[in-house]
Amino acid sequence: MNEILLSNQVIVYLLSESILFGLLFIAFMITLGILVKWDFGSYSEQQFLLERRAYLTMTILLFVFVVKFLLLVYFVFAIDSLSILVPGAMCAAGVISANDYGMFLLFFKLLILFFLLLWMALNSYDLHAKNYPLFRLKSWLFIVIFFIISMELGLDFAYFINIDTLEPVNCCSTLYGQLEGANPLPFGLNTTILLILFYLLYVVVVGAMLSKQRILSIVATLLFVMIAYYSVVYFFGTYIYELPTHNCPFCMLQIEYYYVGYLVWGTLFGGVYLGIVSSIMEMGLKEERKKEQKAALILLSIFVLLCTAYVAVYYFRNGVFL
Amino acid sequence: MKNSPFIHFLMLEFFKERKKHIGVISISLVILFLLSSVLFISSSIRHSLNQTLAWEPDFVVQRIQGGQKVNAPTEWIDDLLEVHGISKITSRVYGRYFFKSKEKSFLIVGVDFMDEQSHKALRMMMDETDLKEFLKGNNMLVGEGVSSHLKAHFYPNGYTFLTPKGAFKKVQLFKVLPKKSNLISNDMIIVPIELAREILGMGEDEVSDIAFNVPNDDEWENVADKISAFYYDLRVVTKEDIKKAYENLYNYKGGIFLILFLIVIVTFVLILYQRYSMVYSSERRHIGLLRALGWSIRDVLKLKFFETMMIVLIAFVLGVALAYLYVFVLGAPLLAEIFLGGANLHNSVILVPVLDFGILSSIFLIYAIPFISAVLIPTWKIAVTDPKEAML
Amino acid sequence: METMIVIENLNKHFKSGDAIFKVLKNINLQINAGECIVLKGVSGSGKTTLLSIMGGLDRPSSGKVLVEGESISKLPDLHISHFRARKIGMIFQHFNLFDHLTAAENVMIPLIPAGLDMNEVNHKVEASLKLANISHKAKSPAGRLSGGEKQRVAIARALASDPAIILCDEPTANLDRNNSLKFIDILSQLHEMGKTIVVATHDPLFDTLPFESRIIPMEDGSLVSTVSEDVLEQG
Repeated sequence: MNEILLSNQVIVYLLSESILFGLLFIAFMITLGILVKWDFGSYSEQQFLLERRAYLTMTILLFVFVVKFLLLVYFVFAIDSLSILVPGAMCAAGVISANDYGMFLLFFKLLILFFLLLWMALNSYDLHAKNYPLFRLKSWLFIVIFFIISMELGLDFAYFINIDTLEPVNCCSTLYGQLEGANPLPFGLNTTILLILFYLLYVVVVGAMLSKQRILSIVATLLFVMIAYYSVVYFFGTYIYELPTHNCPFCMLQIEYYYVGYLVWGTLFGGVYLGIVSSIMEMGLKEERKKEQKAALILLSIFVLLCTAYVAVYYFRNGVFL
Repeated sequence: MKNSPFIHFLMLEFFKERKKHIGVISISLVILFLLSSVLFISSSIRHSLNQTLAWEPDFVVQRIQGGQKVNAPTEWIDDLLEVHGISKITSRVYGRYFFKSKEKSFLIVGVDFMDEQSHKALRMMMDETDLKEFLKGNNMLVGEGVSSHLKAHFYPNGYTFLTPKGAFKKVQLFKVLPKKSNLISNDMIIVPIELAREILGMGEDEVSDIAFNVPNDDEWENVADKISAFYYDLRVVTKEDIKKAYENLYNYKGGIFLILFLIVIVTFVLILYQRYSMVYSSERRHIGLLRALGWSIRDVLKLKFFETMMIVLIAFVLGVALAYLYVFVLGAPLLAEIFLGGANLHNSVILVPVLDFGILSSIFLIYAIPFISAVLIPTWKIAVTDPKEAML
Repeated sequence: METMIVIENLNKHFKSGDAIFKVLKNINLQINAGECIVLKGVSGSGKTTLLSIMGGLDRPSSGKVLVEGESISKLPDLHISHFRARKIGMIFQHFNLFDHLTAAENVMIPLIPAGLDMNEVNHKVEASLKLANISHKAKSPAGRLSGGEKQRVAIARALASDPAIILCDEPTANLDRNNSLKFIDILSQLHEMGKTIVVATHDPLFDTLPFESRIIPMEDGSLVSTVSEDVLEQG
């Protein structure tokens, strides 16, 4: 355990997370105070003070959002480099599964980024309105975010403290592999159906967004992200690794594959987040969020193109599929 | 260009406050320089070690008694020969020879020049040596540290060893090993295996340990298990174990350093917070005026944020560049000592430039995040200045 | 004539410890577009505060302020700043220029948040400097200008975004008679351009402006007389 905690990246990572938590705690206290006393119509000095304080919360949250995003990348990178210390781990997959906290932690991180993005979108709308209409909603959302981030911090420490450098872990071939014929895909799907769903859902998502079918677009996007995950791990990934049995979401983040994993997962999650956020905003506020939608569509399209390209290039180079 | 009047104004503002900024950048530079230098040295040595390790044999078999390593019997080699999948078995003879004062020691490494060398690093070191000449007499190849030490003690051409059996053995200094191998060869003396045996007082049937390779990775676990079972006092050390041990050592040293460095960071943060909170009334009027002229809080925050990022980036780039020059061009005088242990003989290693995303991002994060966090609240405080202040 | 500024039941007080100081008491005022209003009163009469509130630099304790029909008394910061930048040109008593910047750079400042590109900004800056008759000093550091020149740079800055309303707080307090007259000259030009002008001053020069103006005396936080309603207040 000591060796993990003393590794440079882990120290820097935990320090950064702790500092962010400190700032968020301040923002939390401010938000509590604001929620209790906010009264936009009032001309009192106190109200003006609260409005000014709200700007501090905004600034802190914007900073936290940017850093959390950078730290996610850094976290993955740090874990990857820890694979030397953890027996049996060849890439981040092994290290993440070194204890039960790992996957939860990763999931929390993705969730936090989504909520932060949602908050940013709400805030931007709120600022442009004339009487802070979303003010309470924003504040409550922040409180939720704060609690999730507190749990994340706990998970951070729990995870790193509990990485055993003596017990071997499974590497990705065991974790994601097709063990003795058992089908790792959910609902008994096979690859063909998976792919059909993948492209179909993509079209549905694009169509739904463009035609303003908001509920449909949210549902389709959620389905798409799940199908996309499996598609990347069990199909497209194999073309990135050029090995039909190599199923791993993490190995593609390594230098051998030109770090393309960051692009693949980045465009997928970026597009999904922006898509869902813009749909929620449109539903709730009854006005168009063209910018976010456009960005979402572009990102998702890049994602789909990228995945398809790997397959196409392989085929053109080798004349066959894997 | 995105909003170039803004950028234009930003530059003007930055320049106006240059004294304050230069102060902050200077302190940052010192911190960044120190941190980067240490991390560069550490990772460079680690990188070199890892490279060297690549040439290490996959497995080493040792004999342990009472928790200590002792000489192993040559019979063990026969046992090993019977195991499937093993190649390039080499017996190694080495040991420490303590110099007069008993404080400094040389590592005597015996090499069987007839046998295959599974230790490629040694091969690399000896490649440029004329073996025929070398083997003609009692010659030794020495590392740079040894050579300087001998010279300092007036032994320029060779040395007379006192063997444990009481005999004297005079050995000529044939050649000094290349500087680039200093990391491992600094205190080494390479001699033919028989000579090593004599100097170290080891019998014909003894070896220090036995090294071999196992080409098939998948077999490693099997082979290790099998061989460990041969004798109760037999220990198998794998290359992976060594790698891990080094990694841990470096993590340990690096980690302790970083934790101590945190104290520096905390002080830095406090200084920054204090400095930025010291808002003179002139600055309040300044910002108040901007606000009165139509700048929103968001606009002022944007200005201040860009100012801060400029400072952070300038300090970061300069600090890292200076550290790079110091470590990889000047060879990091003074600091390198800490990492090279300085325990035995003075070692002047060539530091190979290693620059990767991991180190740079770590340095950036550990500097930028505390920095921005420290100035966030004071910056906000001044950005929300009431425009009324302009009227006063 | 359309109304530009409407003030209804405006009160402003501030607390100092336990004491409450009433700076403005139940102000009611209507200003039409293109009008020139002179708020006359000694220091402490509340005219500067009234001016600040009109310009969105300060907020009332109660009451309404409407500019071009839109209430500005309780707007979020983003909006009120936007309002200040676009609709208001402010000229301060002490000029309030950035001494380390050139005249042109000073004039540029209100234009920056709008996100215009450099050409547009330069264009507007030049036009404003010309209007204020100070183009020849465009590149001089503001710190090196004389009082009168500084005032003209301040005017140029106030005109940069072509605002509908010009507010002046004791504009001639730091000028000699000559420059004061020059200032009034420029005010005439602005009046001709159709700008709504409000001047808070106790300079007697403003009693006899060369163009149509309305003088509203202020005393102890109240207006002594208004156009639409005659309300006499006991302090």
